[in-house]
Amino acid sequence: MDFYYTTEEEKFRDELRQWLVDNLPEGWIEGKREIPQDNEGQSKFFRDWQRKLFDGGWSGISWPEEYGGRGATLIEEVIYEQEMARVQAPPQINVIGVAMVGPTLLQIGTEEQRERYVNKILNGEEIWCQGYSEPNSGSDLAALQTSAVKKGDKWIINGQKIWTSMAHLADRCFLLARTENTGKKHEGITAFLVDMHQEGVETRPIRSIDDQHIFNEVFLNDAVAYEADIVGEVNKGWKVSLTLLSHERTGVARQIFQLNQVFDELVEMASTLKKNGRPLIEDPIVRQNIGRLRAKSKGLLLNYYRNLTNSIRNGYPGPEGSMDKLGASELGQEIYSYALSLQGSVNTLWKENAAVTAEWQYEYLRSRAYTIEGGTSEIQRNIIAERILGLPKDIKY
Amino acid sequence: MEFALNEEQQVFQRSTQQFLKSKGDLEIPREYSEGKEEVLDDLWIGLAELGYMGITVSESYGGLGMGPLTLVPILEEMGRAVIPGPYIETVAFAAPLIEKYGSAEQKEKYLEQLASGNRKFTVALLEGNGELSPTNINVLATQKDNEYVLDGEKILVSHADFADTLIVPVRTGNNEQDISLLIVDCDSSTLQMEKQISMDESRKMIKVSFNEVAVPKLQLLGDENTGWEILQDGIQGLNTAWCSNMVGGLDRIVEIATEYANTREQFGQPIGRFQAVKHKIVEMKMNLETARSLAYYAAWALENNTEDVVEAIAMARSLITESFIQSASDNIQVHGGMGFTWEFDCHLFLKRAKSLENYLGSPEDYREQVVSELVGNKESLILER
Ligand SMILES: Cc1cc2nc3c(=O)[nH]c(=O)nc-3n(C[C@H](O)[C@H](O)[C@H](O)COP(=O)(O)OP(=O)(O)OC[C@H]3O[C@@H](n4cnc5c(N)ncnc54)[C@H](O)[C@@H]3O)c2cc1C
Repeated sequence: MDFYYTTEEEKFRDELRQWLVDNLPEGWIEGKREIPQDNEGQSKFFRDWQRKLFDGGWSGISWPEEYGGRGATLIEEVIYEQEMARVQAPPQINVIGVAMVGPTLLQIGTEEQRERYVNKILNGEEIWCQGYSEPNSGSDLAALQTSAVKKGDKWIINGQKIWTSMAHLADRCFLLARTENTGKKHEGITAFLVDMHQEGVETRPIRSIDDQHIFNEVFLNDAVAYEADIVGEVNKGWKVSLTLLSHERTGVARQIFQLNQVFDELVEMASTLKKNGRPLIEDPIVRQNIGRLRAKSKGLLLNYYRNLTNSIRNGYPGPEGSMDKLGASELGQEIYSYALSLQGSVNTLWKENAAVTAEWQYEYLRSRAYTIEGGTSEIQRNIIAERILGLPKDIKY
Repeated sequence: MEFALNEEQQVFQRSTQQFLKSKGDLEIPREYSEGKEEVLDDLWIGLAELGYMGITVSESYGGLGMGPLTLVPILEEMGRAVIPGPYIETVAFAAPLIEKYGSAEQKEKYLEQLASGNRKFTVALLEGNGELSPTNINVLATQKDNEYVLDGEKILVSHADFADTLIVPVRTGNNEQDISLLIVDCDSSTLQMEKQISMDESRKMIKVSFNEVAVPKLQLLGDENTGWEILQDGIQGLNTAWCSNMVGGLDRIVEIATEYANTREQFGQPIGRFQAVKHKIVEMKMNLETARSLAYYAAWALENNTEDVVEAIAMARSLITESFIQSASDNIQVHGGMGFTWEFDCHLFLKRAKSLENYLGSPEDYREQVVSELVGNKESLILER
């Protein structure tokens, strides 16, 4: 048991750290973190950042070198997330492409697909979105109804996707559609790589509770895909969809690191804000609450390291990732909710009128999505119960 | 970076498990609390044969010369079976303190015997209302020639009847922290012992009275009036050890609850199919793994004497104690009426958990320590490297 990194790993860290200092927008590290609010400005900002990461060799670091990555080890990926969290780096707009679509294509895509897409994912030229959820199938993903019918050399796609993050900025979509009805819902699904810039694809924004435009509805009206756009085999898309999700291996890491870092700011805030003329941080109840959250956050971080060690030892990640996700999402909500509680009666003031900084309000609202996106907490609990503990399945599929 | 038990530690885990199974597993605390005290003697002999008594004793005294991390898997296994006896007091408290602060004579006299299982220690710490504070240490040690004469009363001394040696903080002066630690041999003294009836009968609680008990000055552990400081050192070892022990309890609870939920049927299906039950058990599992990570980390921090050792132990202690009580309670709920019976094992864990809740300080006390460290060391908070 040890928490030391090798000299090489430390070198990797130092190199990245220096790169971030040199390349983050002016004033970013010092706390001036402004992202344009309009669609176009935002798109440009994120694409520029994605491009910078690529040029610096800091995008898709776990990808093999021949495809533009660094062949980074799991530990290096973790260091990467630590450092990105440390400076609160802007999110990668093409995270779906870089973290999931690219590795999936590298693993099971055709040679042609690799050549056509992979490089453009990494350099940010093509942004990807993920078309899984539908109005009538969220948690029950396999019940999806969007259909794809073969006509000559084309597949004609009809239906609707929803909650599609980044669809309004995306060039392509990793989309699941039903190509056969066998009566068994996990069968007859096919994964397509769909061009978003075509007549049959219409994207409408959905405003989220934090007054942002993150996700969208995507309508497919005779949208077209070709044979060459199919990933894996026709009707075997369920397995492909799971392959994609299995590549989401360090996503939760950054969140866990962020939660452990946020205590700096939380303590800072509690030292500045006063009640009865005394800093909140001197209030025994406040101290108890912060102490509880702190211990939980550390526990979560350590759990993550323990699962990581096991993944490295076993050579593959176990279902414990669900525990990391569940823990991080719920604790994140608790922490941001408490941060607002500390602000007293002005705690709902936000945007320009925020009492401390509006980031608390934004993240508080944002945190409500933590336990929904990527599989709800209830679904995570089912997975943990069934796959880790061996308890019975609650629904007969 | 590697954060998991290594191979050697896993071997300790397996052999402890085998050993405790061969001795009756959860029957051990049951038989012990029903008055069959021989099970404890038998257990102790076995532990000594395995070499487990000497883990923290240096090799020159016949031990293994290992630290708190090696104890982790052993203590987890003991927690899984709610094992009685002063193993923690002996191995995680007395041995490291004597190694670190003991005189040459004391090491000679005690360590080899301790490692071979022939010395059983416990700590006689608390007095009065059970609060742990310097002002609450009032057993008076009056100097007389080459001896201290002790007067006063200690409570909640676990397994004092079984132990043959006590480590006793006593008052040796009028200033608040004029406290010294004495090693008191039970056989050569005239101690009065009286059992205190406690819910958790796997930890036998005893009131020890000192009436003009003479103890040679040679028995002073460390310097006079430095006892409180040394005690803090020892308490770190105790807390870290109890954390792993409680993790073992949590582990067993999850196992028992899962098994019951898979087999007990109502409404024509296993109750584990109902999410109200199923998700409750997942909650226990989540708490277990967080507890385990924090306990590992506390032991690692203690073994390596890291800068954040105080915080590491305080985090573990505050969180694990509460999780243990919560899961032990939920486990009873999962078992329904069966969980409320004396016959089923559920209550053993609840009682153990509750008896440890405020031992050496409450969860609130330890959380306060977490925050003091956090606020005090804000600069060092930047993400762990
Ligand atoms: C910010 C955000 C971004 C997203 N981005 C994307 C994206 O890019 N691409 C994409 O495809 N999807 C995306 N999603 C969708 C997300 O995956 C779904 O919202 C999620 O899977 C839940 O589906 P649902 O919304 O239909 O809720 P439902 O499945 O209808 O669930 C409603 C409630 O019922 C509970 N429930 C459902 N089934 C069970 C069960 N078996 N047992 C117990 N409780 C149950 C749920 O836990 C939940 O509390 C995003 C969502 C959010 C919030």
